[in-house]
Amino acid sequence: MNDFSELEDQLRKLRPARPSADLVTRIERALAEETSTPTAAVLPRERRFHFNWFSLGLGLAAAAALVLFAFLRLQQPVKTTPSVASTSPAPAISNDQLVPAGLTQVVYHTRDEGLHFPSGSNQPMRRVRSHTRETLQWRNPKTGATLRISYPQEQVSLTPISGQ
Amino acid sequence: MQNVATDENWKTCFSQLAPGLVLFARQWTRSAADAEDIVQEAFVKFWRRHHDIANRGLLYATVRSIALDLIRRDSRRARREATALSDVDPTVQPAFDIEDDSQRALVAALDLLPEEQREVLVMKIWNELTFAEIASALEISQNTAASRYRYALAALKKNLSPAL
Repeated sequence: MNDFSELEDQLRKLRPARPSADLVTRIERALAEETSTPTAAVLPRERRFHFNWFSLGLGLAAAAALVLFAFLRLQQPVKTTPSVASTSPAPAISNDQLVPAGLTQVVYHTRDEGLHFPSGSNQPMRRVRSHTRETLQWRNPKTGATLRISYPQEQVSLTPISGQ
Repeated sequence: MQNVATDENWKTCFSQLAPGLVLFARQWTRSAADAEDIVQEAFVKFWRRHHDIANRGLLYATVRSIALDLIRRDSRRARREATALSDVDPTVQPAFDIEDDSQRALVAALDLLPEEQREVLVMKIWNELTFAEIASALEISQNTAASRYRYALAALKKNLSPAL
């Protein structure tokens, strides 16, 4: 026995207020939401796959656009030469152009995809897929300004295998 | 409460537990609406994870954890509310259906209890948890839970002694 039994009885007579009626409705709705939630596990993976190709294509397109833009810019001074020729000396104009200064190609990933038989061929070929990054560089010898364009590239090489 | 463990219907389970759960949550909130939000979140989380409803210690631990998270998350708002309410009501009012003055005095005395004693009392008296379940929910030993309960009753008795 304890000394607090009378007090405990008094406490138990105190009734907690009933929760609002809509609490059950809210919980019911929340539990129902769970069952309607899709459990997609494939979709995100699928999306990532497409995204990679899309970004690769986008990157190549952007690189191509940059190269085109750079060449157009390089062509422009030559075309305007006749009109400027009267005020500028010819040698100065040629020095003002960007000249190719370098080309680097970095292979950062190579995967041997094994032997394959290309359609219409009886000879097996080894397929090697490599991912590279090419960087083109131009330099203006007069001002020292440089223009550099870099873009990713995917190459697939097929090497014939001859059986001995 | 005894058949809760075997009850498959969450509404039946919840209707039995709701008043005590909301009362338990109200220790950390100033409004019944906030307490009900906490109970809703806790019960939905508990039910979705397919926990055994007989594991009441875990259910109350979930309520407590969500309530404390809410306080931390919303500490700025809580401070504002505390400042605004400080002149009106210095303590958190448990929600009871008060029938007479003796019960009003009892509720007032409950408000004076330290939080760690009050939460044990609420779990024991109005939620009918065992000391083992209380210990599990609060991550304390059973002896500590029992001690806090006795201290709470002693403090209540002392505060109520002129009225009793």
